[in-house]
Amino acid sequence: MDEIRFNTPHEKGKIDSLASDILKSVRINAGFLLWMTFLFTLLAACLFAYIIQLRKGLGVTGLRDFTSWGMYIANFVFFVATSLCGMLISSVLGLIGYNWVKPISRIAEIIAIAFAAVAGLVIISDMGRPDRLPYVFLFGRVQSPILWDVTVVTTYFVLSMLLWFFPMIPDLAIAKDRLEGRPKFLIRAYELLSFRWMHHEVQYRILGQAVRILLILIIPTAFAIHTVTSWLFAVTPRTGWDSTIFGPYFISGAFVSGAAAVIIAMYFFRVNYKLEKYLNARVFERMGRVMILVAIVYLYFNLNEFLVPAYKLKTGDAIHLRELFTGHYAMLFWGIQLIGLVIPILLLLFRQMRKPLPMMIISLFVLCASWFKRYIIVVPPQAHPNLPVQNVPVEWMVYSPTLIETAVTVASIVLVLIIITILSKLFPVIPIWEMAEEKEDAERIIQ
Amino acid sequence: MKYTTGVIICLMLLPSFARGQDWVVPDDRKGRLSTFPFTDDTRKEGEKLYQVNCHSCHGDPGRNNFIALQPPPGDPATEKIQRNSDGEIFHKVSAGRGQMPSFRSVLTTDEIWKVVSFIRSFNRSYVQKVMQVITSSAYPGAIISMKLAYDEATKQVLVIASATSETGTVPVTGAGVRLLAARYFGKMAVDEEKTTDVNGVATFSVPEGLRGDTAGNIGFSAMFTDEATFGSVSKDTVLMAGMPVIPVSLTANRAMWNTVRKAPVWIILAYGLGVLAVWGFIVLVMFKLRDIFTVGTALSENISASHGQTEPTKN
Ligand code: HEC
Repeated sequence: MDEIRFNTPHEKGKIDSLASDILKSVRINAGFLLWMTFLFTLLAACLFAYIIQLRKGLGVTGLRDFTSWGMYIANFVFFVATSLCGMLISSVLGLIGYNWVKPISRIAEIIAIAFAAVAGLVIISDMGRPDRLPYVFLFGRVQSPILWDVTVVTTYFVLSMLLWFFPMIPDLAIAKDRLEGRPKFLIRAYELLSFRWMHHEVQYRILGQAVRILLILIIPTAFAIHTVTSWLFAVTPRTGWDSTIFGPYFISGAFVSGAAAVIIAMYFFRVNYKLEKYLNARVFERMGRVMILVAIVYLYFNLNEFLVPAYKLKTGDAIHLRELFTGHYAMLFWGIQLIGLVIPILLLLFRQMRKPLPMMIISLFVLCASWFKRYIIVVPPQAHPNLPVQNVPVEWMVYSPTLIETAVTVASIVLVLIIITILSKLFPVIPIWEMAEEKEDAERIIQ
Repeated sequence: MKYTTGVIICLMLLPSFARGQDWVVPDDRKGRLSTFPFTDDTRKEGEKLYQVNCHSCHGDPGRNNFIALQPPPGDPATEKIQRNSDGEIFHKVSAGRGQMPSFRSVLTTDEIWKVVSFIRSFNRSYVQKVMQVITSSAYPGAIISMKLAYDEATKQVLVIASATSETGTVPVTGAGVRLLAARYFGKMAVDEEKTTDVNGVATFSVPEGLRGDTAGNIGFSAMFTDEATFGSVSKDTVLMAGMPVIPVSLTANRAMWNTVRKAPVWIILAYGLGVLAVWGFIVLVMFKLRDIFTVGTALSENISASHGQTEPTKN
């Protein structure tokens, strides 16, 4: 029966050893329960803030007439950006043929799913009347980037789910007989979700086709999701948003925050799930190079985005750029550019810095800077409306997020962590069968 | 210390300077009067003009809801404006100052007087003084009038001015005349300023393609430039001198700003086909899931058959 893969005793042994490593973390243990209790308690506290907002309206936030897009939208852009890592790792790098991404592709998909799913919720938190959400679909206009955004975020979420699930089917089949001691519902779920997978070549062929379609499909969708998000801003004539390079500027920025998120997750799983063998120094080293590449591209786009208007210094741009370069936002602006971009690039050029721990620390800074970068993109341009407005109270002109707003934003981050935890705790985070094949190839070459 | 005191004193004086800038009307303008008595009709027409031209800043007279500008426009029903003489109001509206626009080429003389008539209707104690006869130093004792006509062949508007007195009617010669055409926002000067010839006729060329209403009608107003000599005579007439324009509503055709039903075709196609294509593939991929399941089912049945097992396979 050579039409069935992993059928020889030798291969079976390999699968056994891989599965025992990788499935070790798939269990509901005390640590997991404790962590989830913590997350849910935090979530409940933050949701209380949201209930206040729901009852009293958006007046409890810092949003006013001038700045009507604040922390929520900045957070949304950050989420969409970070979710792009799924496409970057699995599709772009995977389709090029880099095999080293295999152990991290599922991690990237999990992050993509979590951020894409919560991004939609974040938008709802920015709505004063969330009960009117169906109106987007009932009365939406195809001319509106808002409708495009809703469409692509949903599509990208579905694609990421499929791209996470499909390559996992053989793993579910492998794992379903090796789950003794785990809850019944989990074993049952594995059996159902493995769709009678028999490791037959025909099944592998079908699976290969499906995954290839998904990998190709997700590239334009991911480009669309973040380009459209940038168009939410760039299709307005507002100084600071009125830019023709906003699409690629956002995409390149997304790759930076996405790569940082993946590196942090990789480090976490490596240490906590004891997966040093698979998430090894070589993978980190490669991710470090990817990080340098995407960060340099982003730096290049930053140069374009700020140098060109700063050279021409049109009236509106002059006010906006002065505010960023030397004014109210100067600390934040230069901090982001230095700590989030320039210094990480310089550090990562050294091999020692591309080791797991230093990379994780650098990525933490990069990810935080990415969040604040979105804030800088969204908020300051609104402080200077094109039409002069007279006799407006000061508190309408300046924006500072309130505690409630911050709590609701924290809730969204907690939700992301919950989704990542559930997906990574109940299902294997490293593709078992792909690793087995990987080993196979390597051994064949050695022989 | 001296310096600081100086600054503080200056700062304290500033508001009073701003207040102190009274709007002074030249003496020879102050006594100017309307050529017609204010009646209910003039008041009504004045109200219409006020709503269109003044309401946005001055608000509803008597309700003090004028907008907040510096200096404030003021409510026409209040002392601030009513204490002006008729001539002063006329001059201020006609000339404008700062944020108060000049209405000289927006409203005709008669129209400004009609607005004044409306404004005065909020003043109970007001008694109008009407200018008795048209003061024309050139044609003493005569009543001067204008007539407008359109010459289709030459595409010219003719303004014919005549002076009528007990001794008969004579053409008004050598008088400077301006011609204005009504547009959406105010009035537009047509051609240059012209002088009446020996027959009392001034001719104005109408620019090519001047847009009229659906029938090509345009409201023209003619007036003398030298009011002191010829009196403040003006004449409004509607002539069929323009290009007929059938206005198309901005939301009549497909456009980016229109409703979804009237969206540009290309965007409906791009969006629709894009979504359809991607979701088509997603559905296709879902069918692959079914294929995997069918293959697996067939296979497990095969296996159990070849092994001669009777118990059902897992799943
Ligand atoms: C764009 C706003 C605006 C519009 C439109 C406007 N005004 Fe005014 N008006 C003002 C302002 C501002 C002042 C005060 C100007 C000053 O004192 O320098 C003023 C002053 C006046 C005054 C003088 C008040 C005084 O203190 O003596 C009169 C009379 C007046 N407006 C009448 C009118 C009439 C009649 C119209 C319509 C035909 C009109 N305005 C349209 C803004 C406006």
